[in-house]
Amino acid sequence: MAAQSPTKAASSWMDSVRRWTDETMVLGRPVGWYVTGWRFGVIAIIIAVLLPLIPNSAYPQMQSLLVSLTSVFVYCMLALGLNIVVGYAGLLDLGYVAFFAIGSYVMASGTFGSLLNWAGKPFSIPTFPLILLLPVGALVAGIFGIILGAPTLRLRGDYLAIVTLGFGEIVPIVFKNIPTFYGELGMNATQPAPLNTPFGLLSFTDPLNSAPFYYLTLIFAILVALGAAALRNSSIGRAWVAIREDETAAEASGVNLTRTKLLAFALGAFVGGLGGVLNTAIFPSVNPIGNFNFDVSITVLIMVVLGGIGSIPGVILGALVLRYLDVSVLQSLNDPIHSSVLVASTNAPLHFLTNVDFNTLKLLIYGILLVVMILIRPQGLIPDARRRRELKGVGAAQEGMSAIGLLEQEEAGVGIAAADDALDQTEYTGAGSDAQGREG
Amino acid sequence: MPTLATVMIHASASPVGVFFQQVEIGVTLGAMYALIALGYTLVYGIIELINFAHGDIFMWSTVVTLAVVQALGITSPPNPIALIGLLILLMAIGMVVSGGLNVTIERFFYRPLRKAPRLAPLIAAIGASFILETVAQLWRGSGFVAFPDIFPGTGVNIGDVRVNLLDVVIVVVALVLMYALERFIRLTRMGKAMRATAQDPEAAALMGVNINRTISLTFIVGGALAGAAGVFYNLYIGQVYFLTGFQLGLIAFTAAVLGGIGNIYGAVAGGFIIGLVEALTIQYIPNGFAWADAVVFAILVLILVFKPSGLLGQQTPNKV
Repeated sequence: MAAQSPTKAASSWMDSVRRWTDETMVLGRPVGWYVTGWRFGVIAIIIAVLLPLIPNSAYPQMQSLLVSLTSVFVYCMLALGLNIVVGYAGLLDLGYVAFFAIGSYVMASGTFGSLLNWAGKPFSIPTFPLILLLPVGALVAGIFGIILGAPTLRLRGDYLAIVTLGFGEIVPIVFKNIPTFYGELGMNATQPAPLNTPFGLLSFTDPLNSAPFYYLTLIFAILVALGAAALRNSSIGRAWVAIREDETAAEASGVNLTRTKLLAFALGAFVGGLGGVLNTAIFPSVNPIGNFNFDVSITVLIMVVLGGIGSIPGVILGALVLRYLDVSVLQSLNDPIHSSVLVASTNAPLHFLTNVDFNTLKLLIYGILLVVMILIRPQGLIPDARRRRELKGVGAAQEGMSAIGLLEQEEAGVGIAAADDALDQTEYTGAGSDAQGREG
Repeated sequence: MPTLATVMIHASASPVGVFFQQVEIGVTLGAMYALIALGYTLVYGIIELINFAHGDIFMWSTVVTLAVVQALGITSPPNPIALIGLLILLMAIGMVVSGGLNVTIERFFYRPLRKAPRLAPLIAAIGASFILETVAQLWRGSGFVAFPDIFPGTGVNIGDVRVNLLDVVIVVVALVLMYALERFIRLTRMGKAMRATAQDPEAAALMGVNINRTISLTFIVGGALAGAAGVFYNLYIGQVYFLTGFQLGLIAFTAAVLGGIGNIYGAVAGGFIIGLVEALTIQYIPNGFAWADAVVFAILVLILVFKPSGLLGQQTPNKV
């Protein structure tokens, strides 16, 4: 199988990492002990909490790093929310941006002070604090999730993907075409006023101090991650897995398909709305044309696929890597590369690079990542731990496959063909099962 | 769809004239949608994959044929004989490019995932779509590039309705291609192999059908039809844009679903219906231009919710 050799290579690379984590001792325990399971989460959170305490003088780019990370945390939330829909329940949602847009518009219209009537005349509405708009935005998005989900969730997986895609396209079109929310112009949310806290005045608009928003989004990202972890181990989480693995069998075992799927969809939408409100509180411009296109839905989906469908640490890692790449690395590539190529020569072979916007390359990278991950490592960078326990031996061969949605039974698993398939699939994720054996 | 602005120049006086003018536009658009929809339906029929990259396969035909016309340095309509030659050349190039791209993607992206769960090849197709779009964007830039007016604006006025020669050519050639496809699937050995594979791949393989070759052929045929549509699109709309495929792909997919996905007659019917709906929406709904896409997507959602099998498709029960 073509996918075999890269997986092998990856596994030897991972072996040497694993040897290092097993043999290096810190405070009387191997490094590996600290970075497994919940301990890794605790360490990551401690680092994240302490990071803004590094003074600007020690690291001059601190503020821009904090702003980048704030955006990373929002996308962590979005990816965790989509992971409930795609990873837990196995429903491919290609229109996740719709809920993000709804949350953004709740935040914008809740703080802007006026809306337009049908004739285009402004009328004033009261403004609300962020702390109230957060639950409202999430609830409104969740309700739209139910409205969209109720009629469509009985569709088969790929049809559902297209319907959600259509919904994701319609929502920005509606915001653009109806006058209420200032149509094509969009709106600017008002950022939250400074808070009077026991530690002094906490300002959300000070460009020299990005820490308040950083902590705000960090708290929400942690809450969403904890919520997602709790859901995963609840009875409803098990029902989702059952549906994902075999809808018919789940229904026969007494799982209410519609209600269970709808709950996943609504919760995903809820988190998407929450992310929209927070994102707009930080980056206040809301524009129906640029902000809410298909790229957003796909970006979040790729975070899930890259990290490991259904895996909370994986999804967080995917969001960290891709969002940081987007807001920081690619942005910073543009200027130096353009100027250095220009200086070199106007007819040098690389001159075309001056016309390349490296932000465009992002989508190319996304496309390649999606294809490569699905072909070579469908279980993601950090595969879901439950599946590693659940599926061992020959069953583990199917893990990689079932990681991306419904595990379809071989419809006509007859004789030699079926045996061949099983062999193929064992090779396919053979390396993955080795790694699992070591961990278990 | 911003580019549709160019088809709105036909000015008509009487309400009846306006209506039939929009019908004329809708039929012409519908012919293109039907060609693209056939690619979706053929692929879905044979391997149950929504070929998400299909719209971008179509877009690549528009991009490459534009490059050909620019390389030939043609900026105005040539004499009739040269025009016919040029059109045949463009059609050939567009069909080869799109068919070739489609089958290449199938070979490297979808074939390794044939035994994977349904969502895996769909995700691979989304990735392929992004790659195709971005490469086109890097090549031709992020804006619209005008396709030169190589087709003369001749036509006749029937009452208030303007019928251009180009519109007639598009509809007639599209119908010829559809008829050829129908004959090919019905009558040839390869067509029979395609139908057999669509019905039951394992049984077809046991009967000696080369499944891989048959699936590849399906992708070539579907891609080639989209390639032909790409040439028509350049002649009719005349704006080359790297995201065209995403939008037209969704519209054509809606057409395929409306007709009953997997059914080639359904795809053709759906294409013409969606073309008419779009042209009439633009005319009769206030600010219809801005709403045309939303109306098409709303139709998609409604069909999938109330009649997922479409107009001509068959209801398939859930398999255990």
